[in-house]
Amino acid sequence: MFALRGIAVSLTFFVLLYAFLSLLVALAWRWLELLHATEKSLADWLFALRLLPLAASIAITLAFVVPSFQMLEPRSIHEDMGVMPLALGACALLLIAWGCFRVITAQTTTSRVVARWLEGAHPLDAGAEAVTFRSRREAPPLTLVGVRSPRVLVSESTVALLSSDELHIALKHELAHVRSRDNLKKLVFRFSPFPGMAKLESAWSQAAELAADDAAVSNRHDAVDLAAALVKLSRLVPVEPAPACTVGFVTGSISARVARLLAWDEAGTTRPTRVHSWYAIPPVLAALACLLVTYGPALALTHEVTEWIVR
Amino acid sequence: MTKVFSIFGSGSRQLGPFERQVLQALWARGSSTVRELLADGQIRQAYTTVMTTMDRLYKKGLLDRVAEGRAFRYTPRHTAEELQRVAALEGIRQLLGSGDTSSLPLSYLVEALSAHDAQLLDELQRLVERKRRELESREDEDQENQDRENEDRGQR
Repeated sequence: MFALRGIAVSLTFFVLLYAFLSLLVALAWRWLELLHATEKSLADWLFALRLLPLAASIAITLAFVVPSFQMLEPRSIHEDMGVMPLALGACALLLIAWGCFRVITAQTTTSRVVARWLEGAHPLDAGAEAVTFRSRREAPPLTLVGVRSPRVLVSESTVALLSSDELHIALKHELAHVRSRDNLKKLVFRFSPFPGMAKLESAWSQAAELAADDAAVSNRHDAVDLAAALVKLSRLVPVEPAPACTVGFVTGSISARVARLLAWDEAGTTRPTRVHSWYAIPPVLAALACLLVTYGPALALTHEVTEWIVR
Repeated sequence: MTKVFSIFGSGSRQLGPFERQVLQALWARGSSTVRELLADGQIRQAYTTVMTTMDRLYKKGLLDRVAEGRAFRYTPRHTAEELQRVAALEGIRQLLGSGDTSSLPLSYLVEALSAHDAQLLDELQRLVERKRRELESREDEDQENQDRENEDRGQR
């Protein structure tokens, strides 16, 4: 009974904190756009912010709620488990189950669709670092698929339509997505559902595309080739919508991407600065130090809060 | 806002050209009396015509008004963007509701969107080609300058 009560209280705390932080992130994420940061930094920060509610809720529950219950809750008393912890605990379990279901569905759908796209495909020797396949005409023009072993699929139409320089730079764009593990990030988004996060995910997707453009391009010729490839492949209408765990080359606002590439500045003087993630290290270290000093009182406070919630 | 739908919905209550002109003048000014609007000089109509038109727009739910002396001060109830959005939505809804075969109007919409997309892509394609030509001509110029410098050095 003690263990069951502990689980219910922890899950209750987790789901309440998750909902609160998600709501906060869904309302406040647009402030990040005020940062005059590179697209790579912006994409990283948007991803971190999207992940924050889940990560913080798990960390705080494991670091505070579980130990405070273990240490401060008397085992001898036969306290009835209220309706509130039972209901919210069930909500938390449903949330986790829903997240798992979304991940599994996305994975299986992607595997099924990709298997169909790969029928009759053969490796393409395009000088790329990742496994690249030349797929059927009906497959999407240029797509990155897979999480554990990413592959780039290039359709017959794409090979016919693009010049070798354009194809090379378009593949470099997809390889930038491989290095950023963007398919894995999409899967993580699916594991932590919350209403109102679609705009944040869409902003991340656009920033990730622009970051991949930046990573692929190293001079003005590359920029023009990539813009040309984008325009050409935009004319190929996909036969079916792409499944969740794929990153298509023709994604986001095409006109904005093309305009940005055509204005590509070789000197890089007008480009925004990269906001390094190590800027977050001092506040994190400070928070950890505070945590160590105040851990005991914090556990007592957490226990009081959980008692108040479940009462 | 629901009343605005009906304005765009029924033909008899749609906005006329002069009503649109008055509305645009009010959007530009923010709020105005009939006399202020006429004093601007953008509208050249009789006082009573403008007054009747503004009264009609008020009754259609597009303007708010407050008494100011013996006249009224009118303010647009919606922004231009809001009205455009509603008009577009209503237009699409009417299109989808027309026709006996339900999929047919949707196909017109897809056709119009595809034509718009193709136009946009043509425009982008032209921009890319222009940029490519610019780069090539700049490189040619650089090459010529380099050759000239080499020749000068050789002559010296």
